[in-house]
Amino acid sequence: MIHYKKDIHNIVTLTLDMSGRATNIINHEIWEAFVPVIEHLKQEKKRGILKGVILTSEKKTFLSGGDLDYLYQANDPNEIFTIAERMKRFLRDLEKPGVAVVAALSGSAIGAGFEVALACHHRIAVDDPKIGLGLPEVEIGLIPGGGGIIRLMWLLGIEKAFPILTSGHRYTPREALRAGIIDDLAPSHKAMLEQAKDWLLQNKESRRPWDRPNCKIPGGSAKDLKMGQRIREMAATLASKTHNNFPAPQAILNVLSEGSKVDFDTAERIESRYYTELVCSSECKNMIKAFWFDANYIKFGKNRPKGYGKFRPQKIGIIGAGLMGSGIAFACLQNGLEVVLKDVSKLIAERARDYVRSKLNTLIQIGEIQPKHADHILQRIKTTDVAHEFETCDLVIEAVFENAMLKQKVTKESEGYMDEYSIFATNTLSIPITKLAEASTRPENYVGLHFFHPADEVPLVEIVKGEKTSEETIARAFDFVKAIQKTPIVVKDVWGFYAARVQNTYILEGITMLLEGYPPALIENLGKQAGMPKGALALADDLGLNMVLDYENQAAAHYGSKYVQHPAVGVLLKMTEELHRPGRNKKAGFYEYLENGSRVLWSELKEHYPLVPTEYDYQELTDRFLFAQVLEAIWCMQEGVIQSVPAANLGSIYGWGFPSFKGGVIQYINDYGLEAFLDRCRVLQEKFGRRFKASKMLSELVAEPELIGDKANSW
Amino acid sequence: MTEAYIFDAIRTPRGRGKSNGALYEVKPIDLLTTLLQEIKNRNQLPTQEVDDVVIGCVNTIDDQGFNIAKAALIHARWPHHVSGMTLNRYCASGLEAVNMAAAKIRSGWGELCIAGGLESLSRIPLGSDGGPLIFDPEIISANDYVPQGISADLIATIENISREEVDRYALQSHQRAAAASLSENGHAHSSLIPIFDRNHMLLLDRDEHLRPDTTLEALEALPPAFAKLGETGFDEMTLHKYPMVEKINHIHTAGNSSGIVDGAALLLVGSKQKGKALGLKSRARIIAAATVSVEHTIMLTGAGPAAKKALALAKMDKKDIQLWECNEAFAAVVLQFQRQLDVSDDILNVNGGAISLGHPLGASGAMQLGILLNEMERRNLSTGLVTFCVGGGMGVATIIERT
Repeated sequence: MIHYKKDIHNIVTLTLDMSGRATNIINHEIWEAFVPVIEHLKQEKKRGILKGVILTSEKKTFLSGGDLDYLYQANDPNEIFTIAERMKRFLRDLEKPGVAVVAALSGSAIGAGFEVALACHHRIAVDDPKIGLGLPEVEIGLIPGGGGIIRLMWLLGIEKAFPILTSGHRYTPREALRAGIIDDLAPSHKAMLEQAKDWLLQNKESRRPWDRPNCKIPGGSAKDLKMGQRIREMAATLASKTHNNFPAPQAILNVLSEGSKVDFDTAERIESRYYTELVCSSECKNMIKAFWFDANYIKFGKNRPKGYGKFRPQKIGIIGAGLMGSGIAFACLQNGLEVVLKDVSKLIAERARDYVRSKLNTLIQIGEIQPKHADHILQRIKTTDVAHEFETCDLVIEAVFENAMLKQKVTKESEGYMDEYSIFATNTLSIPITKLAEASTRPENYVGLHFFHPADEVPLVEIVKGEKTSEETIARAFDFVKAIQKTPIVVKDVWGFYAARVQNTYILEGITMLLEGYPPALIENLGKQAGMPKGALALADDLGLNMVLDYENQAAAHYGSKYVQHPAVGVLLKMTEELHRPGRNKKAGFYEYLENGSRVLWSELKEHYPLVPTEYDYQELTDRFLFAQVLEAIWCMQEGVIQSVPAANLGSIYGWGFPSFKGGVIQYINDYGLEAFLDRCRVLQEKFGRRFKASKMLSELVAEPELIGDKANSW
Repeated sequence: MTEAYIFDAIRTPRGRGKSNGALYEVKPIDLLTTLLQEIKNRNQLPTQEVDDVVIGCVNTIDDQGFNIAKAALIHARWPHHVSGMTLNRYCASGLEAVNMAAAKIRSGWGELCIAGGLESLSRIPLGSDGGPLIFDPEIISANDYVPQGISADLIATIENISREEVDRYALQSHQRAAAASLSENGHAHSSLIPIFDRNHMLLLDRDEHLRPDTTLEALEALPPAFAKLGETGFDEMTLHKYPMVEKINHIHTAGNSSGIVDGAALLLVGSKQKGKALGLKSRARIIAAATVSVEHTIMLTGAGPAAKKALALAKMDKKDIQLWECNEAFAAVVLQFQRQLDVSDDILNVNGGAISLGHPLGASGAMQLGILLNEMERRNLSTGLVTFCVGGGMGVATIIERT
């Protein structure tokens, strides 16, 4: 488990090698294995035959983080606190054998794994961009529990530690060096060990800064007036961004502030107490559910049609050098694929290369990649104005204007040159795939791939199945989306597919509140405070009011005589037809658009929609926003628009920014409690109509509330 | 019941609360000992008769720390059995000190008290004592606790108060203060005790913050003071509590907010009987005092409710009040108060206030009460009310009646 080797300089190298595992992980086993080793080192130090220690691993992972399966179900504060404190004691022992310890990182060290590295006196990493380092616990609603916050604070100061701890970022070794979380880079594993030895031979200090008398936290503690003021501003900035919905980053700031005022060991205990509270929090459980369990469900292809071999796309054709086409191109290039980008002229097609170049420059600036690497990436994109360049492509995606004729034209043109096996995909957001596929000579190889803007950043792609799209094409589209490291969700060919359809209910609910006479600012602010990325009215403006209306019209056509008109429809008609304010495109919608590029709510809105309520039930308005979406997502499940609970949850978080601290749009029900949710639906239905009626399928789950996730998975 | 009376009220001049202020070189304790000696001398006060000394002070740290009231009593050579304490009711500390002294008298647990306040903002700036509401990130975020300037701008936004209105109000404050201070009889000076150095060389004998030549143009040219602070996130925090607001309208500037100054004030408060025994002439009776608290994010709307509560305790109507002081923490605070209680301009803050003369936090309440009493005597009015908006959402008001 731990290999011990000593050289002539009395430097001991400890190599982690957990048997039967591809990676080394943090668990009881490793702590127990360390106990005699540390005891042995202490004895050696006493006898004067120990100069220093190198801690390393020969596996791809130096040491990975905590056990999420355990954390997801852990609910006993005593137990969680005890485990956190045991981990801390282990790390304290590790950093106090009386000699310096170097963490030599030739593999990734994330979360608790990186906390072990932080408990070493010096950190050297191999300069390999595949290595990930850092403390991304906030991503799952958690904070480091092994003293990571306190050590980082002591090493870098409160101001530098805070953004590192709250970014959730996984650092490449170069970035890590720049951020100050490691001390040195090495060109190779061997060189790293040499550098570690050299450092140990020169180093004379065996105590960490916090164990030395009179050593101070860089930049001062929260007791210092200036730092107190900075922390106040940091708190304001954080609260304004998170609207107090994410307890983990707040806990980090609290721990930094409180921990800076007391000694190291007390500070560590404070960290453990916050950690314990967070492990038990619903936000943490919801986020682990979404970003671990749901993500794994999709990653392991539970929604991928079975029985088809893995598709390994190498060359992708893209039609259209607009923002969408360029974004897709960049996503492909970043993941090692070749891209052929076509537009009406080579000049226009070159815009995509410019886009990629500017994105790469940003990455170079922040140190994520090196210029040489960027050049390699740029060499893999080819621009053209002729379709025969698609001959060798495995997949061609069109991202031209949202016009059926145009889309069909480019489909025909490209298919003429594509082989029988390759796929043609459309990135439409509102035209039925089945309709577009009519122009295809091979409709079974025709699929919708709905990227979200900005395509290189949003980690979700909707795979839309047309009437004739084959299962094999779906499987291959699935593999492609995974190849560019995005989350694929398979959706049905209905209006707005899944994401836009559900998002539209949020917009319509906001517009309905306007009709009811609520102040527009209230509508926008409560939407954002509920955790949505934008206010409903702002979102309507961005999409265009005609698009919002169009989705609802498609819903009306779909449901026919069963359709109950949404109260928002009247407002949309009035805004578009009577007041000629169709949205951002025309610089006039629910907002007015100022010269300086900003927007303010249209000042005349209150004349058309005078204020009525004098008191506001914030909770009710917030519930309406979220319940509308949750209920629509349930309809989508019932109608087979989306295939699984994990797809619905992650689709909602990535697709339109449904609150991740709720775990996504279906997990919301678990979080709320099924019974309570149904009760609340009844109240809302009574007051606001049938759109808040819980579907029958949801009601059926009352009998087995604990099964909502699992049962839904099997739908 | 025993009634509480005011026998005397004195104050120091207000020095600019910065390193260029005349009182910056003076230790805060010296302001207090000067006033203690003065109040003793001018009333020929047998100081052994004083039951307690209550001093309002917001930043009780460093030079103002460790109970500066008792420190000043020791240093002023008052008899050792006179006790002293400091209290913190933020901006109304000085007024609260008077109210507490009055409560001691009215309860019979004291017969004669000194009450007042002290603040040297040049030496000890606001926030020097830290505290959860301003430095603890958990408390700030969980409760949306924002700086006062943001709250003042929030009031203006909600009440639709314009930049022009607050600047006009500020101009009026300066004009009124200048008239009071520069007029021939200089009535604002009647209880102002100059501050001398240890060689009896004069340091300051007038309010230093006042700018008699201020113009509307000059006020209008000043940049908003809290816009940048708001951008760090505090604006958005206020929307958690007031989501009906689209955007905070930042209209307060250094010119229409209270000035940062140093100063101290003391009042001699006691029962009628004690006054008689010591040959003190009562100037006014303290009729009622009240504290309230409102929602803490908007924070500064407590002056109106405090005044109403005091009126109710006194069984009086707002029409019964002949002269009003509402602390000029920020122009919008006074304008909002004025709208709420419908108080005429002619009888509100007639000698200017904290905008023109400055706001020595802990001392202000005692100072304004003394100034109100002087003006009531000058105008021969019988009733007056002082009210303060206070940090944390609180409000404090006191009603006096001349005897």
